[in-house]
Amino acid sequence: MLNKTGVPTAEDIKTVSPSEERLIKGPVAIIECFQEIPCNPCTEACKQGAIQPMEDINNLPKLDFNNCNGCGVCLSRCPGLAIFIVDASYSDKEAIVRIPYEYAPVPQVGEKVVGLNRAGEELGSFEVHKVQSGGQKNKTYTIWLVVPKDLVMDVRGIRLGGVRHAAKETIVCRCEDITLDEVKSLISQGYRTIDEIKRVIRAGMGPCQGRTCRMLIAQELAKVYGIPVGDVLMPTFRAPVKPVKLGTFAGGE
Amino acid sequence: MQKVANVVIIGGGIIGCAVAYELAVRGVKDIVVIEKQYLSSGATGRCGAGVRQQWGTETNAILARDSVKRFEGMNEELEYDMDIEFKQGGYLMVSHTQAEWNQYKKNVAVQHSLGIPTKMITPQEAQEIVPHLNLNGLIGATFCHSDGHANPFHVVDAYYKAASRLGVKFETYTSVTGIKREKGIVTSVQTSKGDIAASLVINASGYAAGTICNMVGFELPLYPQRHQALVTEPVEPCQGPMVISLHHRLYCQQTPHGSFIMGVGDPNEPKDFNINSSWEFLEDVARQATTVLPLLKNLRVVRQWSGLYDMSPDANPILDEVPEAKGMWVAAGFSGHGFMVAPQTAVLLVQKILGQECFMPIERFGLDRFRAGNLVLESAVV
Repeated sequence: MLNKTGVPTAEDIKTVSPSEERLIKGPVAIIECFQEIPCNPCTEACKQGAIQPMEDINNLPKLDFNNCNGCGVCLSRCPGLAIFIVDASYSDKEAIVRIPYEYAPVPQVGEKVVGLNRAGEELGSFEVHKVQSGGQKNKTYTIWLVVPKDLVMDVRGIRLGGVRHAAKETIVCRCEDITLDEVKSLISQGYRTIDEIKRVIRAGMGPCQGRTCRMLIAQELAKVYGIPVGDVLMPTFRAPVKPVKLGTFAGGE
Repeated sequence: MQKVANVVIIGGGIIGCAVAYELAVRGVKDIVVIEKQYLSSGATGRCGAGVRQQWGTETNAILARDSVKRFEGMNEELEYDMDIEFKQGGYLMVSHTQAEWNQYKKNVAVQHSLGIPTKMITPQEAQEIVPHLNLNGLIGATFCHSDGHANPFHVVDAYYKAASRLGVKFETYTSVTGIKREKGIVTSVQTSKGDIAASLVINASGYAAGTICNMVGFELPLYPQRHQALVTEPVEPCQGPMVISLHHRLYCQQTPHGSFIMGVGDPNEPKDFNINSSWEFLEDVARQATTVLPLLKNLRVVRQWSGLYDMSPDANPILDEVPEAKGMWVAAGFSGHGFMVAPQTAVLLVQKILGQECFMPIERFGLDRFRAGNLVLESAVV
């Protein structure tokens, strides 16, 4: 499923989770890395002997939870932003999730931000406890977020600006002002391809010819039908590549 | 997919969808529409979106005249939740040669006899209607104010939704692979999703109608012909009517959305299924359009495409039962103007199939006319 949706399943998460006992003991890294790619900065980052050296650079990282003290160095070194530090010992009811963040603006300490799960869905509004810079060369910030204890293994992203009705406000096709909500509504009515959606609400018919909306609509279709984005039927790409005056074609210019 | 149906309609374009609706609204149950891709993916969705009554043959003119009345009330009739975008800005047909002008006179006489309010006007009067019209070499023009534009995607969508509410099933992304007969009577349609037994099959597959008829060993006198079109960026409304110049092989209109749709016919276009777009077309249409309507030279083209006309020898449709396969009806050969005549064509065919009184003689669209060599050629095709 992961390579179809981009969202790890509960089974995927299980394979990288520490035991309940280890979790309540204090800060520990969770390495949510599921793709065998040639990448090993985490093994170099770990000075605790928790992340084992790799025999093959394509291997998935292996973490010894008992050696991990939750220092967070690996978090800011992971290029895939796949490492989180969770601390379930923070208080009786609350836990801390440390999340890598590379967008501007960076949230302020004390600010309430929206916590998101792995699928990008809103889980609530949570307070920023601490903001850690990655340093001069490393622009990855670490956001310390205070979350309810039961969400410690769910909150994995943040968004600034408060809770939004994203689908109603998100413009998918900028040429024709088509919102995500309108696209989703057509998909739920049974319009199955980008072409069908294009013909009913003009998404992709404007001057940019679908450069923005084509892939966004493809993503929505892939989610609904549970298929890889690459399997979504593409509309025909048509000339001209950018708008050209009729007078130019007529040979006048 | 279901195994048995009363009616199988092959083709999910404007004709197939309209026929499905007209059958269902008359109480026919258990209708399935088979479409190879998605609805309006063929010629319907590629057409110039014009609706005109200015035809040269009585048959085309009647179908178009009565279809305009249907388009006028279509949003309400089909209880459509969106808008078919019917705009009656008229059609201005300009003439640059005496032979053409003489033909226009004959055509207008046919139209007047049928109550179509076409006017013959001077170049100056034409320029009052379209201020950016080039008068150079213009002899005169004909103008019918109730002609216009409708959005093919939405018209199909409206028929689809109305037919669905009446129980019609649409099987998209399904191809027809064969037709079974017993003793010259149709028994079932074979598709990529299984067979459907049916005693009534309607071949509304446009340029593929010949291929479908070949499945029962019948040679339909149709040939496919590529026609190309383009659309520009949208601009403020500045051109009410569709402008047609047969001399320049050009049609050009501004849609309610603001973009201009235009195309030219290529007299050297071969008879085949080629549906690629060409750069030669862009130059050709740009030269013709900026000659007839010079102002348009500043408009930017955003997209070009092409589609196939299902050409019949006299540019009139074929609405008839296939002699080799009783129960199989053809609704094809619309020769580039199927969209605008679809509403009443569907009614006519359905009246005939159900044994009801036809609102006009359907025999004029019969296959016999080709055998008898009794053809009245439509002169007003772009």
